[in-house]
Amino acid sequence: MNRTTRVYSILLKVVLLALVWWVLSDGNPHSWWIGGMAIVLALLAAKSPTSQFSISLLKLTLFIPFFLKHSILGGVDVARRALRPAMPIDPIMVDCVLRLPPGPPQVLLTNMVSLLPGTLSASLENNVLTMHVLDKQGSYANDFLVLEEKIAELFSVPVLSPGAGV
Amino acid sequence: MIDFFSILLLLAGALFFLAGTVGLLRFPDLYTRLHALTKADNVGLGLMIAGLALQAESLSAAGKLVLIWGLVLLAGASVAYLIARGALLRGVLPWKR
Repeated sequence: MNRTTRVYSILLKVVLLALVWWVLSDGNPHSWWIGGMAIVLALLAAKSPTSQFSISLLKLTLFIPFFLKHSILGGVDVARRALRPAMPIDPIMVDCVLRLPPGPPQVLLTNMVSLLPGTLSASLENNVLTMHVLDKQGSYANDFLVLEEKIAELFSVPVLSPGAGV
Repeated sequence: MIDFFSILLLLAGALFFLAGTVGLLRFPDLYTRLHALTKADNVGLGLMIAGLALQAESLSAAGKLVLIWGLVLLAGASVAYLIARGALLRGVLPWKR
């Protein structure tokens, strides 16, 4: 990570932390001297940025609608299955070899899989994600590949080996 | 008009919480129940937060609600993973049709 991106990343953190403080303190101007100290302490306490990975604000902004849309679809899907008298579920455990590098990209993927329609992360070990699938006839395999590509795009990393083993 | 949208969003949120709870009761095993809880309740909470944010007195109060939603989302996904992983390590087999 070069100097400019490091300064940029620290500035971004300051802005985000200041936003959180503003929200927590209801914008009370007298609280800023405490808030300012809290922000500095938070910056010092936070682990030094994992130099390999960085997210641009623009890419994050583009990622949020994708995330919202799919988590709503996930909620609608599971609600429908729970409420229908026939309860159409046909579960299976699936191992997927990940195409993302270890660290933040894999962790984000693991958390997001649980919010996507019909899948739930159960274990992440040695680049293999074990997930529980609610309906094995569904399009989960394809959805998973798309999610992986979206996260690779978000972190600006390439998807590694082709074809996740499903 | 704003009140109308608030009511609509809150009712829709309640419907998702209801569906999540029905799933918790009807689904056959731990893994399928986790599906119902994480996904349906997150959407339910999101809709309720949106409904309440419309009624918030200030922008920062609305921001606080959104912050709560984000934290619950993070906690929900992480805890679901931990429970599922714990069950998997203990050899709990998934229900099959």
